[in-house]
This record gives sequence, structure tokens and C-alpha cells, in this order.
Amino acid sequence: MRLADLFDFAWQVLRSSISRTLLILLAMGIGVAAVVVVTSLGEGARLYVANQFGSLGTNLIIVLPGRSETSGGMPGVLIGKTPRNLTLEDALALKRSHAIRRFAPLIIGAGDVRAGALSRETPVLGSTAELMDIRHMEMAQGSFLPPGDPRHSQPVCVIGAKVANELFGSRPALGEWVRIGDRRFRVIGILAAQGQSLGFNTDEIVIVPLAAAQALFNTESLFRILVEAKSREQIAAAKADVEEIVRLRHEGERDVTVITQDAVLATFDRILRALTLTVASIAAISLAVAGILIMNVMLIAVTQRRREIGLLKALGATGRQIQLAFFTEALLLALGGAVAGLAVGELGRSFAVQMYPAIPFQAPWWALAAAPATALLTAVLFTVAPARRAARLDPVQALSRR
Amino acid sequence: MIRLSGIARTFLVGGEEVHALRAVDLGIAHGEYLSIMGPSGSGKSTLLNIIGLLDRPDTGTYELDAKNVTALSDDELARVRREKIGFVFQFFHLVPRLTAAQNIELPMVLAGIDPAARRPRLARLLAEYGLEERAGHRPDQLSGGQCQRVAIARAMSMGPTVILADEPTGNLDRHTGQEVLGVLERVHHNGGTVVVVTHDPEIGARSQRRLRMLDGAVVADEKG
Repeated sequence: MRLADLFDFAWQVLRSSISRTLLILLAMGIGVAAVVVVTSLGEGARLYVANQFGSLGTNLIIVLPGRSETSGGMPGVLIGKTPRNLTLEDALALKRSHAIRRFAPLIIGAGDVRAGALSRETPVLGSTAELMDIRHMEMAQGSFLPPGDPRHSQPVCVIGAKVANELFGSRPALGEWVRIGDRRFRVIGILAAQGQSLGFNTDEIVIVPLAAAQALFNTESLFRILVEAKSREQIAAAKADVEEIVRLRHEGERDVTVITQDAVLATFDRILRALTLTVASIAAISLAVAGILIMNVMLIAVTQRRREIGLLKALGATGRQIQLAFFTEALLLALGGAVAGLAVGELGRSFAVQMYPAIPFQAPWWALAAAPATALLTAVLFTVAPARRAARLDPVQALSRR
Repeated sequence: MIRLSGIARTFLVGGEEVHALRAVDLGIAHGEYLSIMGPSGSGKSTLLNIIGLLDRPDTGTYELDAKNVTALSDDELARVRREKIGFVFQFFHLVPRLTAAQNIELPMVLAGIDPAARRPRLARLLAEYGLEERAGHRPDQLSGGQCQRVAIARAMSMGPTVILADEPTGNLDRHTGQEVLGVLERVHHNGGTVVVVTHDPEIGARSQRRLRMLDGAVVADEKG
């Protein structure tokens, strides 16, 4: 039997029982679409997190005071020992490392920012000029903090887009004075609106020079040091350098925690990938169910088409040809279901994108390949039994009944 | 052409052995028009099925065109059936979803014949059996006589050695039955070998050679 005739024959069968065909297509389609949609959601979430981390900066290392580790010793609180503060001098010592491109010490506090009669409570960041490059910040107007010795400061500040809007409305904010606590700062720049980034909204902050923040909040200790390694390959070296430099300055105590952005990202990546895979497998169960449906329908078909199978045998069809006819039928069903499923899945994906434009919903290539492949495989596997039964049918008995 | 010797076939029905055929010897020559008659249960259908290679004898040998076909595998049998045997059934056994033309074409499709080679053969068959105007109709749109003509055309499509007809008129009214019988006889006149199983003596009487069966044995073999 020629291949074209085989497909033609199967096509005739599918066309002659439209409702049966449509029902199987529906089941198969739902299975494939479920896998596509579910993996799109998972992959979208993964990419979203990756993007969010990426927007924090590239090759980023974060140094924070205190060390969280499990050790046999008594917790510091109980033996009257608190972790040493991270100071500006610690940060400046990092200049010695060759693996580090730049760094920005960071102090965060809340301040009452006033301009004229208007006042607003916002997070106030104290940092240096390097922060802009490390965090990939963009300016809407003016310039960022001026470079220079971070021990001394000028009374200037950079404000977020929303802060500017709330304090000055449509009036130009650049060059105006604002009051934070008991100090006055001139606005020299306004940040471009960037929106939320890992729970931290740069639109709603005010950035002042580090020394000014130290005076404002009356503290010497840094909240974080953001460090940018020279390249991706240098991240490990930079991390080791940071640990070593700070350890030497802290009398041999390892009392800071150094997190690399990569490590955090990799962890999230693993978790979300595992989650996607798990949910995709659950969705794939529906494909198996669709496969069983195909088997069921094929078994019924073998019974219903006994006479026809007997006739085909009498006309000279071999057992193999009969089997092939059934496999072709199942394959066409699975193929149709897969195409319909991919289309519906894509529809669902674009719907999700419409609902949440911020999240890059996108089915991963392996899901786009695995879902139809699973559909075809289950269809073929579950047709083995019915096809064999059909091939073994005794033509005399099959033909003898009306 | 067809030579059966010592063919026996036993069925187990409800734990009891039923001897459908007991040591049948039969030779059919090329171009013969043979009818097999006998009451139901006499073994005439079993004999036809064995000649048609749908069923295997328990003992005995069967030579078709001087070739022993008793020991062939199922697939080999299917191939011989396709090439040499044409079946005509009481209940037509047309595939309901296919048109008359597609039904006639089916054996050629199964044999893997090229569509370009199938087309002229199909056109000739449709013309020969007066089905040109009905070619695109499905079986449920055809009369009984037309259905049986389609079945005969289908049986003839591969140019078989022998046409085996099992009660070909059994499901038709008298007039249509005569007409269908006429078609079968034309096949015979054109040099074909035709074997008809029937319980209707009137139909049997029209053939050249009449076999009478009883309890699984050939009890009479009349010619002329």
C-alpha cells in the first residue's frame, strides 16, 4: 500500500466520523495546550526573575555586614558580641583588588523630604557616583552625584521621578532646594522612571552623597557595599578578594556575608525550572489520558469495523497493512491534536502576555518539542494493542456476521 | 488449476467437534463455471473459504495454479488472495464511507498500484459493469443490484484467477438476482473461472458443473 493511499484511507475514516475525530482532537489539543501554557507561565516567571536580577546590575557582588552561618559556637547575641560594622574605610580598601571594576557603598534610611510646603516620607539612599553605573540607572534630567572623595560631600541630591512629580508637580525640579531632616540639598538630577525592581522602586527614592547620609542618619556603618567585578569570569576572584580584604581589616574575623548575584540567580533559576518541569509533567498526564482515550476509541473501532477489517483481509490486506492503517489513523489524530494544541497554547500565552505585559511568557523550546512528541508517542503506543487485535482478526468470522 | 486433495476441516463448537469438511477431493479447471449446493451446515461455505484462502484446512493439500498454498504464511496468503482470488459476498461488504469507485479501487490500492496505473483500469471496470454514473455514490445511495455489481467489479479489479461468490443473490430480489447472475456469467463467458455457492437449485442449474454437498462431503458432481 502506498503511503499516500494509506493517509488517504485514514483520512476517509476520520472524515466519516467527524464527532469522534473532533472529540479526540479536543482531548489531545487540551493536553498539548496545557503543557504549552503551563511551561510558558513557568518559563515566564523564571525569565522575569532573571531580568529583575539582571536589572540590579551585571557581575554584581553584594557585601553585607554580619555573617549568617551555622556553627557550633554561641550566637553572638548571647556572648555579648555583635558583628563588626562595615565601614566606608572597608569599602575604600576594596580598591586593592584587581578583579573589581568599581564599587558603591550604600546607606539607607527614611527621611522626610520637603520642598516648600510639600513634604514626603521617602527612602533616602547615601552612595557615591559609581552607584549609577553599577545599578544601570538612567537620568531623565540633570546629572548623578558628582564623583570625588566619598568622605566629603556637597549638598546635592538626585530624586526619583515620582518624588519629583509629587514635590514639584509640573514645575521644574532641577536646581531647586529640598530639605531632608535638618539639611538642605540642591536637586541636580532626576532619575528616569524605571519602576519596580525586586521590591525596590527607584522612582520613589532620594539619593544623597554618602557623607551626607552618614551625617543625616548619624551612622558610620554601611548598609551594603555593591561591588561590580571586571567580568563574569572574575566574579569568583572578586568575591574571594572582598572576603580576604575585609577579613584582614576586621582582625581576621569573617564577619561579612558576600553574595554573588549569580549564585542567587542560579538558585532561583533552579527552583523555577524544577517548578516548571513539575507542573509540565502534571499537564503531561492529560496527554496520557488523551492517549488512553485514543486506545479506547480504537478498540471500539476494531469492534465496529470488524466486517471492514475482514473484508480488507479478504481483498488481500496483510496484517501489517491493517496495523499500519490503524497507526496512521492514530498518528493523524495526534498530529491534528498537537497542531490544535500548539495553536490554543499560543493563544493562551498571548492572552497571558496581554494580562501581564511585564512578564515575558514564553514556552521553552523543549516544551514546544516535547508536548507534540509526547502526543504522537502516546497515540502510537496506545494504538499498539488495538492494531494488533485488528490484525489478528479472523476474516471468516469477521465476515460471517451481518 | 485448483486441486484439493484430502481436505478436512473441523471446528470446535461448544466443546464438540463439528466436521465441516471430511476429506474433500476436488479439481477445478480454468474457465469453469461451478456451483456448490447443499443445505446449510453442509460445509459449502467452509469449502469456499478454504478455496479463497481465508481459512486453512486441518489436513490435506491445496494447489493453486500448480503451487502448494497449504503451508504459506498469513502474509503470503494475503498476497495470493490479492492476486488470484476475487470475492463476492451475500451482503456485498462494501466499505460504507467510500464511493463506488473507491470501493472498486480498494484491492488495487492495497496492492500498492500506482494511481496513474489505477485510473484507466478503474475507468474500464466502471464502464464494463455499467457503473459510470454511480461512480461517485456511496453504498447507501446505491440499489442492492448496483452494490453487488460494484462488488463484482471490485473482485475483478486485480484480474483474479477465480471468482468466489457466496450466495451472491441471497440478499436480492428475484429480478435483480437474475441480473447479477448474468453479470457473473458474463465473467465466465469472457474466460473467467466462477465458483458460486448457493442453496437455490434454480441458480445452481444454470452452471455447467454442479457440486452437491452433504455433511462435509461432496455427494454429487454433475456436469453439462
